Amino acid sequence: MKKKALVAVALIIFAFAAVTYFVYAPKSESVDFFAMDTYMSFTVKGRAADKVAEIVKERIICLDEKILSRKRDGSEVNLLNKNHGGKLSAKLGKYISDLLDVSEKSGGKYDFTLGAVSDLWGFGKAPAVPGEDELNAALNLAGADKLTLSGSNIEFPQGVIIDFGSAGKGIVLDEIKTILDDYEVKEAVMSAGGSILVYGSREFTVGIKDPEGGSGYIAVLHVPQCCVSTSGSYERYFESDGKKYHHILDPETGCPAENSLISVTVISQSGILSDALSTACFVCGVEDGIALCEEYGCEAVFIDNNHGIYATDGIKNSLEITDGAYSFADEK
Amino acid sequence: MRNKLFRKTDLIIILTVALAALIFILWQRSGKTPLTADISVNGKTVESVDLSKVTDRVEIRPEGTVDVLIVAENGRIRFEFSDCPDKLCVKQGELYRKGDTAVCLPEKTVITVRGSELDAVTY
Repeated sequence: MKKKALVAVALIIFAFAAVTYFVYAPKSESVDFFAMDTYMSFTVKGRAADKVAEIVKERIICLDEKILSRKRDGSEVNLLNKNHGGKLSAKLGKYISDLLDVSEKSGGKYDFTLGAVSDLWGFGKAPAVPGEDELNAALNLAGADKLTLSGSNIEFPQGVIIDFGSAGKGIVLDEIKTILDDYEVKEAVMSAGGSILVYGSREFTVGIKDPEGGSGYIAVLHVPQCCVSTSGSYERYFESDGKKYHHILDPETGCPAENSLISVTVISQSGILSDALSTACFVCGVEDGIALCEEYGCEAVFIDNNHGIYATDGIKNSLEITDGAYSFADEK
Repeated sequence: MRNKLFRKTDLIIILTVALAALIFILWQRSGKTPLTADISVNGKTVESVDLSKVTDRVEIRPEGTVDVLIVAENGRIRFEFSDCPDKLCVKQGELYRKGDTAVCLPEKTVITVRGSELDAVTY
């Protein structure tokens, strides 16, 4: 009898352990989808994982359709561009003031009013090198100085096109972060077309994609919760007459920024800043880029076409170069 | 012996059950992962390829795409052709390590090799 009782106790302990494991083991949920003309991927761990994943997807699609998309009829940005101004919602007003600040601090090297210029280049659709006259005409319809803000109203000349292409993915990350805060999520990773939010109390590993077009990564960042965005000349480009034209435009020339950089990664607590600053730094170059990041308290990693890596002091020790072809430029 | 709380056989039974529980939990957690590439179209996985078993050329035209040709060969997988304007997906080349990813935006097609050692990759 005693033996049977012991077996029963052991079985109960086993059942209890198994049930505990299944109930308390963190559930993991992933969603992958296309929005904002890019690939979105979200993974979350925790008891409300499936619900949070669903909300995240809905929120991104809504953010794009209702506010950020300039191509979608009826979105806030689309209407502003059509009516060359109007009343700003609190959210859009905040985004625009953040971006105007980056534009100012970068000495105009960052510009989110380049829509007319980037349309001429037709990246991703019908790419072509624009003629000089049409490029100059489009450049006359760009620049933060064209925008007049008064209170929650904005005005600008007809033909100027506000374009959130260089900040929208970062805005998505900020938006997702508020959802994760609200739902007290323990851990999540969001990739908005390569702009990353790692969320949680542990250390995360974020690879920096091989900028020479391979499918792997060349270095790994060991970071706590933060946003990580990269601008690279390899992301969207086309070739014409043997010359490569990438999508990061210099607001001064209206042409792809020409310096030795092929990739810039910015690490920040703010998504909109990491995204906008990665573009700004790509145009600014290493020296001015590092100064700009210091002004914002952000970290950055620059990669040049000679496989040299430059990093701000605050991130250098957290950067592990995994591809032997690359090394820190100051150690070469 | 009779008055002892546990007999030797009892102890063996308890240990066996505990061991079984431990093995069960470990087995649940591990889940063997051969090198598998998932092909998804518009967020839905339409095909999975066990790369460790692929030697000869396998051609895949994923369901839901207009004109995309994916080729798996010798444990590697790649976009061989897509009707997109910039062909950036084809230029990504071969995928063969855990976590490798290639995306064709116009065709909304993604190839991912399962089981990345990293939390994310920025691009």
